Amino acid sequence: MMKVQVVQNVLKANDAVAAANRRILGEAKLLALNLMSSPGSGKTTLLEKTIPMLGSACPSAVLVGDLQTTRDAERLSSIATDVVQINTGTGCHLSATQVAEALTGLDLGRLGFLFIENVGNMVCPADFDLGEHRKVVLLSVPEGDDKVAKYYTLFQRADIILLTKVELLSVLDFRIDRVQDDLAKLNTRAPFIQLSAKTGQGMDQWITWLHQQRAAVR
Amino acid sequence: MHEATLAMAIVEQVVEAASPHQVTRISEIEIDVGVLKQVVCESLLLAFEACAAGTLAEGAVLKINEIPPVAACQECGKEFTPDLAELSFVCPGCGKASVTLIGGDEILLRSMTCEQNDAPAATVAPRKET
Repeated sequence: MMKVQVVQNVLKANDAVAAANRRILGEAKLLALNLMSSPGSGKTTLLEKTIPMLGSACPSAVLVGDLQTTRDAERLSSIATDVVQINTGTGCHLSATQVAEALTGLDLGRLGFLFIENVGNMVCPADFDLGEHRKVVLLSVPEGDDKVAKYYTLFQRADIILLTKVELLSVLDFRIDRVQDDLAKLNTRAPFIQLSAKTGQGMDQWITWLHQQRAAVR
Repeated sequence: MHEATLAMAIVEQVVEAASPHQVTRISEIEIDVGVLKQVVCESLLLAFEACAAGTLAEGAVLKINEIPPVAACQECGKEFTPDLAELSFVCPGCGKASVTLIGGDEILLRSMTCEQNDAPAATVAPRKET
């Protein structure tokens, strides 16, 4: 009998590819963002509004993760410089390997931003590094004000938290103070922006943050 | 958290680690699982049993060490234990919740105990991943 000390990260395969992605994205001097949320929180709609506001001097590409369909990619194809749809089949989150494969088809040098729209899921994406620079977490008003506590690992890791669909606050029982109280204990680092892609509320703050973060990684 | 994926990775990695040592059977595998990874240990044990079938790891005991969270405050540098019952990562030093997780966020294959062909017992020097 013998004991072999291994001392090895079980997730080393994904993490190694994520590190390689991070190096490639860093060399390209663009800002790569991993957008995570539950399904239907407004990730694609947010990108539809965001990308034109970033301006033509900062072209954007999008990697879209969904189990099936190319619907999101079709929505974004006339707005983004490049769109890659990644269909995961039954996979409930994107992996670093899927992102690496998608990156090979992009001309990264001419991009200002790379948005990775992860599979709608508040659990698994939090645990799988893709090589992004920043984690963007969306929570929409219809989902309820208790989701920060219920899915705390996702919100704890966020670099920015966007409360979307705030135009619905007047018709739904949603207590923003509950969300803010939970975030005060979990994550005071991440800015919390209340926004509406529909009315434009908060979009300027979000765009400003994106430009600031891009400047920080260049 | 993807217990089946983890189980497959553990089996692959122990079989690979065993390859230089004329191992006939792996009897125990020790892993560290950070509580923040939210791994369901019962599911992991079931998945491991299934994945290990037909490999050197078949029948091995999977020993899981649950690692508590440790945070380092990004504002003042203080290290502390987050209060998961209260879902609080607030630093007791400065009151901010802006941390780097330095413990409780890992899934580490720590060691394995193996049976070999008839050969003198040997302790392999630790090999740390760079």
